[in-house]
Amino acid sequence: MFKKFKAKDFVFCVALGAKVSNPDEWLNYADDQMRGDRSHGEMTMTIETPNWTRTLEIESDVEGKSQAITTINSPAKEKGIRTLRIDNNMWNYFPKLKRKVAVSSSMLLASWMGSDFTNDDVLKASSMSQDYHHKFLPDAKVNGVVYKVIENTAKSNTKVMWPKVVTYSSKSDCLPRQNDYYDKQGKIKRTMTFSEIKKLDGHLVPALWVMKPADDPDKKTIIKYQNIIFKTKFKSNHFSQQSLTAN
Amino acid sequence: MKILFLILLLPTFANAMRADLTGNVEAQTRESMNNEQAKEDLFQDWNKEKFHLVYGNLDGKVEFDNNSFIDTNWFVRYTNSELYRNGYVAPQIMTFPRKLVARDVFQLQHKSQTDHDKTESVLNKFFYEWDNDEQTIIVGRFYINYGQGEIFNPINPFNQPTGLTSIQQVAQGNDGGEVRFYMNDHHILEFYLLGDKGIENYDGKIDRTVWVHGEYQANDQLQLDYVGGEDQNRDKIGGQISYRLSEALVFAQTLYQTKFVNDDPSHDLWDVLLGFDQQFTNKWHFRFEGGHQKKNRFEDFTTFNFGDRFLPSEYFAAIANTYEVHPLVKVSATLINDIKTGFNYGIAKATFDLGHSLEAELFGFSPVGKGSSTDNPAQKLVTTDLGGALRAFF
Repeated sequence: MFKKFKAKDFVFCVALGAKVSNPDEWLNYADDQMRGDRSHGEMTMTIETPNWTRTLEIESDVEGKSQAITTINSPAKEKGIRTLRIDNNMWNYFPKLKRKVAVSSSMLLASWMGSDFTNDDVLKASSMSQDYHHKFLPDAKVNGVVYKVIENTAKSNTKVMWPKVVTYSSKSDCLPRQNDYYDKQGKIKRTMTFSEIKKLDGHLVPALWVMKPADDPDKKTIIKYQNIIFKTKFKSNHFSQQSLTAN
Repeated sequence: MKILFLILLLPTFANAMRADLTGNVEAQTRESMNNEQAKEDLFQDWNKEKFHLVYGNLDGKVEFDNNSFIDTNWFVRYTNSELYRNGYVAPQIMTFPRKLVARDVFQLQHKSQTDHDKTESVLNKFFYEWDNDEQTIIVGRFYINYGQGEIFNPINPFNQPTGLTSIQQVAQGNDGGEVRFYMNDHHILEFYLLGDKGIENYDGKIDRTVWVHGEYQANDQLQLDYVGGEDQNRDKIGGQISYRLSEALVFAQTLYQTKFVNDDPSHDLWDVLLGFDQQFTNKWHFRFEGGHQKKNRFEDFTTFNFGDRFLPSEYFAAIANTYEVHPLVKVSATLINDIKTGFNYGIAKATFDLGHSLEAELFGFSPVGKGSSTDNPAQKLVTTDLGGALRAFF
């Protein structure tokens, strides 16, 4: 899809308004735009194949890089199911049975609610800056637009599912447009694209995220943000097991 | 004047409250067959009998504010089969769990049975919960759900593991109160005061349960649970260790029960469980549970009496596999082996997501080997059941 473009010693990001030689700075800026210090988001997650479509309505609260709680509001079967993440721990809560299940490391490979996202994606979603080394690759051009390419390779002392992730970012807003996830054999296993860049509550955010598994090109999972609020505050115990199992 | 006052107050309450109704309805049909032993031992011929089951849950929740709510679940189950004639015992296993309220004071249920059908209507959840920053208080009939065991879970005597059941979204209710303390980020302590009159012997006597469950997260890998107290006239103490390996979860439970604290004839009991759980691939989930439960010599095993204890009477090993054939199709297979009696029980299910909150399931429950031991004659009477179900969620 992307063609390699001539590499440069530095890159210019319009949004950053400066020459950037450090990919960490680029990724941190994008992370700050998309996540903020804390946020409350409302979104739909649609799992789509040629034969069927399934949509979940989700609310998600995030604080910092290590705390998140999501609640499913629809469909009826999954309504009320919550997932809490605190640091490297994760729990699912099924309110109808009052059952709390710690998501063990063995479950990280499992699909999250039948989607193309895994529990590991939910748990490790923010660890790209911590668990990976980053370097610029030659730029890539597609449909006349030049994208900045950052290669993220897993640090040797971290346990991550994807040994390499390649990020294609826009040079105008510095936000990612595509992530390619590679397996140990160096094959692309799945691709996530970001589009519909919108300014929501003062932040530039891709409102549409599409995850496609490489081995099943007809299938995809689409996350569409309906709303996101960054200027929000949570109670001190909002990200706790108490909050997970309470009302 | 009073009516006017209520009318004026109503919008205030309506603004403060938020109500929610959810639930599911399921229809099942199954054919029960292959039980020559029942003919010989019990003179009950139920080979090739049909069994139909319809059940529904209506879950209602009224939230008063961010800190308190009332949660209810009304469960109705209707079963129809000629197996009910002459007191045939086969339906007992088909309606597992038979007891929908584990510790019962308030009854809140209606049952009726003829020689061809049975209707049960139970309010198996009806509680008020109040949360503040450091405590949660619950009063009424509520679910108690903890412990890693899915086939055998001895540290939690208040909820049957669902590994053997074909019904969903149902847990057993318990009457009483709970106070939960969030000691810190790693330690949760729960105190329960429950009562039980028993469904069958509803004679007014309340057996007391005073129970403690603690959950301590020692680090990212290790979690410790401890339980103890008096329950159903026995003192009980036990615990669970769960340890997260890099690729799997291992866990162990034990529960020791003293003799009856009253003078009823009894002996002590103890249970042990070892478990292993691993997601081998993103589609294949594997679980092993094995253990021992001391046989209660005072329990009647000569007839089809499962009581609250699990089918294998002493040593058992179980493996459960779930495989996602397709995002909409899951198959699961569970095999339970009673090591001492040689009894093997298999459960196979295929679940199809039909969309629009509809789900279909094909299932089979079968004693794939009845063993040669005479230690547990009831195991020889277990039927083979093949069936299908259609469930809707709303």
